[in-house]
Amino acid sequence: MAKNFPYGGYMGQLLRVNLSNRGISKEDLRKDWARDFVGGVGLTARILYEEIPPKIDPLGPENKLVMMTGPVNGTMIPAASRSSFCAKSPYTRSFFHSIFGGFLGPELKFAGYDGLIIEGRADKPVYLWIDDDRIEIRDASHLWGKDPFTTQDILRSEIGDEEIHIATIGLAGEEKAPYAMILCDIRAAGRGGMGAVMGSKNLKAIAVRGTGSVSVPNMLRVYNTAVRINELFATTPAVQGLSGYGTPRNVAAMNEGGILPTRNWQTETFKGMKNITGEVMREQVVKGDRACFACSINCTKYSVVPKGPYKSVINGADYETIYAFGSICEVDNLEVLCKADELCDHYGIDLISTGVSIGWAMECYEKGIFTKKDTDGIDLRFGNADGMLQVIEKIGKREGLGELLAKGTRDAAKIVGKGTDRFAIQNKGLEWPGHTCRPFPAAAVGYATGPRGGSHHDIRPTAEKSGLVDRKTLEGKGALAAEVNHWLILGDSMLVCHLAEPIWGPLKISDSMINVLNAVTGWELNYEQARKIAEREWNIIRCFSAREGFTREDDQLPIRFMEEPVPEGPMQGSYIPKETLERLKDDYFTYRGWDLKTGNPTREKLSELGLDFAVKDIGKGN
Amino acid sequence: MARVKVKSFSVIRDVLGSEVVEIDVRKPETVGELFEELVRRYGQPFKEKIWDPNSGQMAPFLIKLNESIISSTLDIDHKIKNGDEIAIIFPIGGG
Ligand code: SF4
Repeated sequence: MAKNFPYGGYMGQLLRVNLSNRGISKEDLRKDWARDFVGGVGLTARILYEEIPPKIDPLGPENKLVMMTGPVNGTMIPAASRSSFCAKSPYTRSFFHSIFGGFLGPELKFAGYDGLIIEGRADKPVYLWIDDDRIEIRDASHLWGKDPFTTQDILRSEIGDEEIHIATIGLAGEEKAPYAMILCDIRAAGRGGMGAVMGSKNLKAIAVRGTGSVSVPNMLRVYNTAVRINELFATTPAVQGLSGYGTPRNVAAMNEGGILPTRNWQTETFKGMKNITGEVMREQVVKGDRACFACSINCTKYSVVPKGPYKSVINGADYETIYAFGSICEVDNLEVLCKADELCDHYGIDLISTGVSIGWAMECYEKGIFTKKDTDGIDLRFGNADGMLQVIEKIGKREGLGELLAKGTRDAAKIVGKGTDRFAIQNKGLEWPGHTCRPFPAAAVGYATGPRGGSHHDIRPTAEKSGLVDRKTLEGKGALAAEVNHWLILGDSMLVCHLAEPIWGPLKISDSMINVLNAVTGWELNYEQARKIAEREWNIIRCFSAREGFTREDDQLPIRFMEEPVPEGPMQGSYIPKETLERLKDDYFTYRGWDLKTGNPTREKLSELGLDFAVKDIGKGN
Repeated sequence: MARVKVKSFSVIRDVLGSEVVEIDVRKPETVGELFEELVRRYGQPFKEKIWDPNSGQMAPFLIKLNESIISSTLDIDHKIKNGDEIAIIFPIGGG
């Protein structure tokens, strides 16, 4: 076990870098916080609750960007490769966690740190070089303006080590574009503008080399647990298919079920689906498979379009690429989708927010709200593939229409007016991923109350989408949403990958998840204890939002989902009217022990969870 | 005996060999019997794509029966008839 740290899996140390005064310090990880919040997102929420005052400018030097690992990262447990970037988001204006896979998280642990806290703002562009215990803040003026992959190439060559792992921003992050992302080797911390926070600190990149290892109390127990989890991955039907087809394995099935969001969510069936499925992708462009650290699922595809106007090389496409640029914009050309994916990485922008913002603009054009004057001369009809690619470039460069769309649909709709908010597919400012809630009440209340808004990692529609529970009833859906929140947040704190959902969930925290946590840390948590940690984590994040001024009123769905039933297909007629959503919220808040009027945790609930310090912050009404 | 068309995707399609196959379902002509027949015809490779060995149950997934949606967990005794079209809405899950 790490020196002076009683629990397995931890390095016992955080690295703090203040870019304003170039201060670098190593500090002990608090044992009580590790025990109460585990790591990753839960632990970061506790740290940022303590360290960031309310109402600060997310792009100001007071904001902090935290990269945090979990105890399971860097061990042999599969699908435990992930890591989180968290900060107050310039996009959703509250606590945000953006999770990524790959190798960077384990590498930071091998260098000796559970997490990295970045504060202040450098007076000129810099990058951070973490080489075990040697830390340097280095000049990055030669990297400024470069795209993420070029930046990574330059750093690997100038540091002289091909094996280092690197987080970088692109042009969008440098420009503090609201939905700029951080590219971590080939994986993205895509959502919520974490790249803008990094850019606001004049921090171009973080390069890490670690040569240590992670200690656990009983290696044989961890080994046996890893073997068992690998067996489950290999034999669980819902995990199979990820290796062969990646996340797009479900495109055709979702379309058949009438739940493939299409034409900016005007409908949920896409006629051009046949050309953009996981099967077609495998046949036409996939050249190889890639895995994250210690993962046997290897869901990431490496794809190449060798020539022609859409020539591109990407790690993808993922389901969300196919959704955001394919069915949402009605583009049924896989090569174009690969190019769209490549452009988003090139500029460093979140592809979900990009695609959904373009879908919104296409609908503005379709309705005559936009003319060619507004679109820089582009005939921005649904299905115009080249037009879509041109607009991605404009968003990346923040030129013309791109300047408006780079703000995201919430702010763009406010500027344009004319009822365009009715088809801005966001809540809390975050554009939606490709997983509907219109036929699924637990998913609806989960999305509405989730801290990030349009994130399918605060709630999973899978239980209702697979028929594991009856999707038609409202009964018990508040409880289901809360228990799904719990396995997700505990997973984001251990930092295991949600794609292994049937193993970690899917209805509540599973025995497998608790076994992994116990094996690595040496804790012997039972279900109730694990659940309480997750509940504490969910509540501290809610308190962060409440302290920023968020209330029950902010727990909404995109207007379209509350007013427009699915017009066709097997889910025809499904939607979540406002009254239904309010009823679901009552059910959810009651189950959680939150105040029905404000939607905030009550004094009693906070006290029960050991969060008494937050009582003073979250307003009256409790 | 009911002759039905079964449509599937991804790894299940790979086992059935084609996106649509025709299957004769014996009495009782139910969704459950259809899956039994698929197991008889396609054997273990099909079974392991659908049955969860850890629970011993069929995995949860939706089934499109003509234009309506039913599920593998709640509607296994649902009747089917000659000419029905059935799609296995699986695998499904997040990105
Ligand atoms: S399932 Fe895919 S994304 Fe998740 S850890 Fe494994 S390879 Fe990475």
